Amino acid sequence: MREKETTLYIGPQHPGITGNMMVRLKVTGDTIVKATTEVGYLHRAFEKLQEQRNWLQCFTLMCRFCVPEPDPAEESYARAVELLEGREVPERAKYIRVLVLELARLGAYMLWYGGQNGSLGLYTVGQWSVGDRNYILDLFEELTGGRVYHMYIWPGGVRRDLPKGFEEKVLRTMDYLENRLKDYDDLMFDNTIFQKRTQGIGIVSKEKAIEWGVVGPVLRGCGIKSDIRIDDPYEVYDRLDFEVPTQEGGDIWARALVRRQEVRQSIRIIRQVIEQMPSGEYYNRIPNPQKWALPKGDAYARTESVRGEVGMYIASDGGTKPRRTHFRGAAYVHGVTLLEKVLVGANISDVSPIMNSLGVCPPEIER
Amino acid sequence: MKELKEQLINRIKAHFPDITVENNFNYNRFDVSINKESIHSILFYLKDVMGFKHLSDTNCVDWLEEGEFEIVFIVWSPAEKIKIFVRTRIDRNNPVLETLDMIWPQLHTYEREFREMFGIQFTGLEAPDEFILEDWQGPPPYRRDFDTAAFAAETFFERPGREDAEDVREAITKLTGEEIPEFAKKYSR
Repeated sequence: MREKETTLYIGPQHPGITGNMMVRLKVTGDTIVKATTEVGYLHRAFEKLQEQRNWLQCFTLMCRFCVPEPDPAEESYARAVELLEGREVPERAKYIRVLVLELARLGAYMLWYGGQNGSLGLYTVGQWSVGDRNYILDLFEELTGGRVYHMYIWPGGVRRDLPKGFEEKVLRTMDYLENRLKDYDDLMFDNTIFQKRTQGIGIVSKEKAIEWGVVGPVLRGCGIKSDIRIDDPYEVYDRLDFEVPTQEGGDIWARALVRRQEVRQSIRIIRQVIEQMPSGEYYNRIPNPQKWALPKGDAYARTESVRGEVGMYIASDGGTKPRRTHFRGAAYVHGVTLLEKVLVGANISDVSPIMNSLGVCPPEIER
Repeated sequence: MKELKEQLINRIKAHFPDITVENNFNYNRFDVSINKESIHSILFYLKDVMGFKHLSDTNCVDWLEEGEFEIVFIVWSPAEKIKIFVRTRIDRNNPVLETLDMIWPQLHTYEREFREMFGIQFTGLEAPDEFILEDWQGPPPYRRDFDTAAFAAETFFERPGREDAEDVREAITKLTGEEIPEFAKKYSR
């Protein structure tokens, strides 16, 4: 008897992804023969809204592009504005920005531990890692006043200086997290279920990764050493000593191993930043925001997030409001072009782990 | 870096003499403007011959006053560590461009969004009409002349009792006769 093709709808609410997005699958038995990404559930027209706000007001929308890791969008916007205006940023602000970005990376990786394992039914890891993420959120709360959305990195520097004793707290948290990583190895990477459900699943080949415009840990999981922090360094990354981990294989397992190593590298970066932190100003004050006009032209700044390249394009007509802004998230490529291709041939039960490992974040697709 | 940028510009100019170059940036970037008929050729050339393999981003800017859309392709060379902004302009009243998704597959998604949000038609683009918007009948909403406030006023209605930013508790009291609770009085105006 010939197997009949069936249509299956995954989402819009779904444990594989942060936010709302649907994947329409054509399946034969439990094998996917065609996948189509359907978006349109959370479009907020941020780019249109920004055209009606002044350059400073736009900054408050930046963190909302991606909930798990909002800071790279703030960083990209702030740097794009600074590039266009030629505004200098104090040294101390640059170090604080790197500190915040790396803390955000750690927080996002802790959430990823939970998501990736939760999609395989291994819920304990998620309960631990989300608990550990709270220690990072505590730091953010003390520094910025917000746990999830920080609105901290803004044009000209950062919004406030480090509170007294903050560096020591960060170092203590890093020591705690570093000791904790062995527990994650035991429970996750040494777990047969995790290995069997991730090895050889969701493969992206090296050639296709380049052709399809893949970025971040997904690209590094194909054996390609690519990281904006090294290739196109910003802030003070060129003064820091860290490695860009890569893995061969291009499957979920390879991507997980890359992320596992990146957590250690982020801890290493944070310790160096604390050690090298200069004193001085943290903010190069902007003029009155209502009268603050940027010169005519455009700029694009990009930041390495846990999902890969996150960039902000801004175009100015010389006025106090943007002519156009555009946010480029890694998921814009991973969630549509890449996902639709990688899912073909996969098993239905692997949809969620694949989506998680590709870093599909729907708010980046429809801003 | 200045010399490297000059070398790259000369190589591009040798093949595309009609381009306009802007190279007054003090970081790893220069801009190239070209007519829409040659945009495919230059992007293919940059990607396949000059090693600008990575498409960082693509944007559409509506220059309403000039009657044109500007499409900006930001390409990156992993070897040279240089980014180029490749620009082309199309007529706003007849916004048609041939699809470019054979160069970078991810352009397929960008083109679908630009078609929906700016009304640019990409000849040869094979994709369902709808991408983000559902049952949208109005003009392309990301165009500069689309008035979001007017659209909201025409499409949606104000909730009764809130027309003049009235205090919500006072409005409820007026409508229902319900008293403002003691604990809430200090928050009420």
